[in-house]
Amino acid sequence: MHALDALGNPVRRDILRALRTSPLAVGELAERFPVSRPAISRHLRVLEDAGLVEHRAQGASSVYAVRVQGFASVRDFLDEFWETALSRLEELARE
Amino acid sequence: MIEKSVLLACEPERAFTLFTERASDWWPAPLRHTDDARSEIRMLAGGRFWERASDGREVELGRVTAWEPPQRLILDFYPGTDPEHPTEVVVRFADEAGGTRIIVAHGPKSESADRWQDGAPRFAQAWDLVLAALADQSFM
Repeated sequence: MHALDALGNPVRRDILRALRTSPLAVGELAERFPVSRPAISRHLRVLEDAGLVEHRAQGASSVYAVRVQGFASVRDFLDEFWETALSRLEELARE
Repeated sequence: MIEKSVLLACEPERAFTLFTERASDWWPAPLRHTDDARSEIRMLAGGRFWERASDGREVELGRVTAWEPPQRLILDFYPGTDPEHPTEVVVRFADEAGGTRIIVAHGPKSESADRWQDGAPRFAQAWDLVLAALADQSFM
């Protein structure tokens, strides 16, 4: 998932807001949100796939932090969007 | 400005219909706001342009500002930004030997001009994230 679209989800935006002041362990994050720990882990995975957060192991836990370099430009996002979309349209027209 | 085009093996009328009525089929699955790869996406002559997940959640993706089948379609576009900072897509459907060329021109509007080019610092500032993160070099 692309960075800007990973931000389309309100829980993920809140997670990023929580992380902006300091890195947090998964358990600490889970305590702050009214969603299950597995759900938090899923959101973190989406954010990490999008390059917006990164984690390191600390003891038995994983600590997550914002990854500033992950925020790509709107232009890059839309360029990638149309690249994929138009090739799919081309396939659709052949059906 | 982004400009891209593709040649579809069909008439302009069908190309216009594919673009507007079958958006659910061509919209890249990982780039859906609802996180539902099978969400329904429609743009309508009356102006609405939305995505609806299978659980009923609905999100406005923009507005149709010009509906001129089978030649032209103009959209205010929110994905990548938000409704307060729309970008604009002009889609032209040009009759060409062998089919229809779809030409997409996508650029910023005045509201989104400052976010368009310079992603990292400007866009993330908008999310109220980066200044605090930059202050803490341990993130870098």
